[in-house]
Order: sequence, then structure tokens, then C-alpha cells
Amino acid sequence: MPVFPTLFPGTIWQTNVVVIATIFLTGLIVFVLLRLAVARMDMRHPRGLQNLVEWAFDFSESMAKDVMPSEESRRFVRPLAFIMLLFLFVANWLGLIMTITVHVDPHAHIWGLSPSDLQSAKGDVELFDSPTSNMSMALGLAVLVWLISHARGLRHPVKWFRHLLRHPPFGLLEEITNPLTHGMRLFGNIFAGEILLGLLLRAPFAFHFIPWQLPFIIAWLLYSGFVATIQAYVFSILMCLYIGMKSFEADNQH
Amino acid sequence: MFQVGGIFQVGTFIFSVISFLIVFFIIQRFAFKPLARMLEQRRIHIETQISEAEKSREEAERLLAEQQRLLEEARKEARNLLDQARIRADEQAREIVQKAEEEAARILEESRQAIVRERDEALAAVTKRVAELSVELTAKLLRDHVTAELHKELVQEAESKLGELVC
Repeated sequence: MPVFPTLFPGTIWQTNVVVIATIFLTGLIVFVLLRLAVARMDMRHPRGLQNLVEWAFDFSESMAKDVMPSEESRRFVRPLAFIMLLFLFVANWLGLIMTITVHVDPHAHIWGLSPSDLQSAKGDVELFDSPTSNMSMALGLAVLVWLISHARGLRHPVKWFRHLLRHPPFGLLEEITNPLTHGMRLFGNIFAGEILLGLLLRAPFAFHFIPWQLPFIIAWLLYSGFVATIQAYVFSILMCLYIGMKSFEADNQH
Repeated sequence: MFQVGGIFQVGTFIFSVISFLIVFFIIQRFAFKPLARMLEQRRIHIETQISEAEKSREEAERLLAEQQRLLEEARKEARNLLDQARIRADEQAREIVQKAEEEAARILEESRQAIVRERDEALAAVTKRVAELSVELTAKLLRDHVTAELHKELVQEAESKLGELVC
């Protein structure tokens, strides 16, 4: 299987360059999309892109409204939910729109690729992919959400502590399983979609000319698109839920 | 296969979180905030438009009712005026006709009296003259056998007889 170009290979800081680059690319796409929507915004006659962005805005708003306990936490999570939703939607679709794999000489010395990895990958180097199909990145997002939720929870330490010890072992256990499943769910869905798509694309034709895998590719592409969209929504709403669970301001209002 | 994305890499983990945070804050600062502001403005704009439209509709309805009321009043007033005018005109017409009739009657009466008077005068004059003539004739026939007294008597007799005859 292909190998990714990395920074700092062989150390603990080994970093997948493609993931970082596609994160910034995804961010750029979302940024341009939103800026275009802002630039083309019309008070009287909303058209195409504006409608889409407004719909996404309302969607993330209602998502936050459904699970967040108080107005303050809702206001806090609003930009995060909206940007996370769009970011993950674009990120999940990137790998379906295209993946780039180049074949190089397995024995060549190329910057960013360790010779042993290159040889075990038989010279296949992946240059473009969904950032979310990387486990480290997906777990990173999940842990980020986990950190945000606890940072909010710790604004009310007593309630936070009591909440942690509601059901003695499970409350603590949840703090490990929640971010783990949160990240692994996203990674697994996107990774599985891309891997099967890659396998179908690389499969040889029957008798060298019958493209038997074409209907499977189309079906799997449609299904993966569905999964990519759903996973963006699932990750965002779980993020709202986890942050909402740790937002204790609502107790003050009652 | 699991080398592709399956191995957990601390470097990728940390740098992707940092990259995501950078991307998030850039988008939040330069795209989300203006977008949210504009959407809020748009929402407010639409709300004020709707409330203004409702207000102006109410105003229009109020004005329409007012106009209809005024129109109704004006129509009623016009009808009143017309009725009054008709009544007054009828009265005047009746008065004028009455006056005219009275005037006509008066003129007729005067004329009739004048005719009677003139006829009487004429008759009197004629009677007088005929009496004189007949007396003169009688005197001529009788010649000098008539005295002044007799003459007077005859005239009177003739006049009275003639008067009886005429009337």
C-alpha cells in the first residue's frame, strides 16, 4: 500500500505532510466558499450559494439549539459547529473527488520518504487524500473537542467533578471511550470508503477488457458520498453534545 | 495496508490539531463573523420589512375605512341637501302659482268691474240722449203745447221708462 511523505521521519514527531496540506486546502475551500457567500450576499434576492450557506448556517444553529443546554453555550458552540460541519463535509468529500498516488522507483532516495517505507510500499506514494482518513488527524479532532468540553466544564469545577463521578466507573470510562469512538468513527468510515474505492479502481479488468467493477465503483462512490456527508453531521452533533454535556451554566439559570 | 493511516503518529496528531486550530481561527475571524453579522442584518432587515409592511397595511385599512366613512357622510349630506332643496322649490312653486292665480283673479275682477261701469255709463248716456230725443220729438210733434214743467216731467218719465226697458 502507498506511503505518505512525512516530516521528521523516524522520530516521535513524524508528521504526515499530506494530512497537514489537505487540512489547509480544506480550510481554504471553506474560507473561499464563505467569503464568496459574504461578497455575493444580497439582502433582497438570495441566490444559489447564499441560500446554501444560509441553509448550512440554520442547520448548524438548530443542531446546536437541540443539544446545548443554555444560550451562552449555544453562542459559544455556534461558530465551532458551523465551521466543523463545513470543514468535515469538504474534508470527507476530498478523498472521494480524487486521490493521487504516484509511483516512484522504490530504491530512490526522496526527501520526506524513508527508504524502508518506500520499499515496503513498492514505490507507491500517496499525494492527495481526505485528511479525515488519517487516524491521527481524526483522533486529534476528537481530542480537541474533548479538551474544549473539559475546558468549559472546568469553569464550574464542583459540578464538573460531580458530573465525572455520577456513576463511579462509567463516568470516568466515558471520558476515554467518548473521544476514542468519536475520532475512530470518523476515521473508520472515511478510511474504509477510500480503501475499498482504491481497491476497486486498482482491480484488473476481467479478461483484460470487461470493466466489471464499474457498477460497484459507482454504487460505492454514491454510498461513500452519503457516508461522508452523514459522518460530517454525526461528528458535529456529537461535538455539540459532548460540549453541551460539560456546559454547566444551565444549572445556574434554573 | 495499515501503514496508510492506521498507525498512530504523534506528530501528525499534534500538527493536525494545530493546523485545524489555525484554519478554524482564520475562518472564524475572517469568514464566519462577517457572514454571521450579515445574516443577522438580513434577519433584522426582513423582520423590520415584515413589521413595516404589516403596519402600513393596517394604516391603509384604517385610511380606507375613514375614506368610506367620509364618503358615506358626504353622500348622506348631499341627499339631505337635495331633499331640502326639492321641498323648498316645491313650496316656492306653489307660492308662485298661488300668487299668479290671485293676480289673475284680481285683474279679471277689475276688468269686469270696469266693463260693467263703462256699460252702465254708456247706457246712462244713451238713455239720457234717447230720452232727450224722444222728448224733443214729442215736443216737435206737439209743438208749442209743452211747457217747461211738462217738458221736465216728460223727460223724467221717458228716462225711467227707458231705464226699465234697458235693464
